[in-house]
Amino acid sequence: MAKRKWSLAFRLTAWYTVASLLLLVAATGTLYWALVTNLERDSDLFLADKVQVAGTLLRERPNDWDSLREEIELESAARRYDQFYTRLVDGHGKTLLETPGMNLVVPVEKFDGLSERVGLIQSVQGSPYKATAVTARVGGAQNVYWKIQTAVSLAQQQEAITRYRHWGWAILSASSILSPLVGHQIAKRGIRPVRHVAEAARRIGSSTLSERIQAEGYPIELADLALTFNAMLDRLEDSFDRLTRFSADLAHELRTPVNNIRGEIEVALARPRSTHEYREVLGSSLEEVERLSELIGSLLFLARTESPGTFIKPEAVRVDEMLEAIRDYYEGPADQAGVRLAASAPPGLQASLDRSLMQRAIGNLLSNALAHTPGGGRVDLSACHSSEGLEIWVRDSGCGIPAESIPRLFDRFYRVDQSRSQRPGGFGLGLSIVRGIMTLHGGNVTVVSELEKGTQVILMIPTSAATGPRKKS
Amino acid sequence: MKILVVEDEAKTSRFLRTGLREAGFVVDVAGDGEEAIHMAEELAFDLIVLDVMLPKADGWQVLTLLRREGMELPILLLTARDAVDDRVKGFELGADDYLVKPFAFSELLARIRSLLRRSPLRQQEVLRVADLEVDQARHRAMRSGRRVDLTAKEFILLTLLAKRAGEVLSRTMIAEAVWDMNFDSDTNVVDVNVRRLRGKLDDPFPLKLIKTVRGVGYVLNGEA
Repeated sequence: MAKRKWSLAFRLTAWYTVASLLLLVAATGTLYWALVTNLERDSDLFLADKVQVAGTLLRERPNDWDSLREEIELESAARRYDQFYTRLVDGHGKTLLETPGMNLVVPVEKFDGLSERVGLIQSVQGSPYKATAVTARVGGAQNVYWKIQTAVSLAQQQEAITRYRHWGWAILSASSILSPLVGHQIAKRGIRPVRHVAEAARRIGSSTLSERIQAEGYPIELADLALTFNAMLDRLEDSFDRLTRFSADLAHELRTPVNNIRGEIEVALARPRSTHEYREVLGSSLEEVERLSELIGSLLFLARTESPGTFIKPEAVRVDEMLEAIRDYYEGPADQAGVRLAASAPPGLQASLDRSLMQRAIGNLLSNALAHTPGGGRVDLSACHSSEGLEIWVRDSGCGIPAESIPRLFDRFYRVDQSRSQRPGGFGLGLSIVRGIMTLHGGNVTVVSELEKGTQVILMIPTSAATGPRKKS
Repeated sequence: MKILVVEDEAKTSRFLRTGLREAGFVVDVAGDGEEAIHMAEELAFDLIVLDVMLPKADGWQVLTLLRREGMELPILLLTARDAVDDRVKGFELGADDYLVKPFAFSELLARIRSLLRRSPLRQQEVLRVADLEVDQARHRAMRSGRRVDLTAKEFILLTLLAKRAGEVLSRTMIAEAVWDMNFDSDTNVVDVNVRRLRGKLDDPFPLKLIKTVRGVGYVLNGEA
């Protein structure tokens, strides 16, 4: 649609222009109408007034010719603008009194057909007059009726109207040129922050992800947009950081075994050696390769838990028995470390779970717990049904985790203690895998820890998810 | 026993051939799907190790075709993809087992042996390796006529090693067989348990029966 391509500034300008022109037309039109009606009413009232005065004089003081003359001849003759004329005509049509020169402008015949009403007539010279002819009873005498003829020039009035009309047109045409220009300027100013946001967005690339849009001084709506945008950048930067760190960590984890294999083989091949020595090198290389395979296996597993459309195969699992079996499996290492390992769950507790995935999740948590609990401590494995679903707790009395590390615990390759965890098999992937498994079950994992007191990890599997396979959302 | 290895990657097929030959099998190698089908039809094999990613016809096609032709020999799939769907698909098409690359050769060997064994292990009442006697019925282990005191799990572990005497068992296989933990766990757990078993079984005697095979796992034999 072509409409879509119009710029916001253009659209705003168009609307602004149309609106302001409509308003102006309405305003000038209304004022024009008010002016015309007012002027009309003024002249009507003026005529009525004059007729009234003359009529009253005739009725009250019919013989006071001085007053009549003054009213009719002098007063109207004294006016320079809005010329008006009055004439007194008797019952036979004979002019008794009239404003000097009236005959030359509006003679008697002009008033024919104007009895008792106001009308428009043209003077001999062709200019417009508003006129009326009213019959008035002459006081004192019986049945004597004279006529009062009055006419007022409309020239001034029409001139004013014409002048007004000219001005109206001038204002309208000026504003039809100005308002798009002004409107465009306003629109441009209005959307300038939007352009700034766009420019900032364009500027921000993978290497400048830390840049933010300065929202200060923006109108509320745009400040909101800028803040939303910044929040998105925060998340993006965070993911990007994690990804970068992940790549770096992965490279590091790969480098160590590969370097070992390479070095050992190179050294071994440098000169002839005994079979025993070769066996040593091959055995050592195999150990490193084993480590690499394990890493690859874990990464593949994680990728699988994260890809949408991965299904799990839940089966009815006796949770108490499963925990007991896991306790049994880890009893050896726990014994060796001098840690008491206990499992408890309500007998007969059942849930729909992917058994081997859950074993793996709980196994990872137990490995962590055992690794961080000093001799004499204890690790408790328990399960219960809460209102939300099945909860599995792994509690240890170990060294705890610093609060600042907790948010990053589930990051791949993250290790709380970088130096300590160089034990074989520890890649810092265990908790990521636990979380992946919980996600596949539609559940979640929570860590609560206190330094020197211990750590609790709670696995929560909602009951709804336990009823069938769940897709990762 | 004759095995057909279908694998297009040269190094992989070379070590498979060498390894399987040294384990006592007769091995033929096919480099692509069509060749595999042809060889399987012409020659009598006892088992096929089949890679999924193959030129000409992939493993799925080979598997489907061979099963449609009514061949019932065990087929073990090898794949680089650890997707559950692949696993399910493999079993649905009639594969007998499934191994994800990278895999331990000992694991492959163990699986091939268990597929070829067909009938379950002979339930010998008493297993004997050198001076070791494992009496399954009475849950008793003896060395040189002396009773060795073992916990229940240690006894199961020893029985497993004795039943498969001379066969290298990976830690994963041991965890699965003894504790029913079928995940690649912290392998340290198996090491600890084997160490404890050794403490009771081997430490008091000059002849050590349980040997560690570096990077692979454990084997029980009577060799010095």
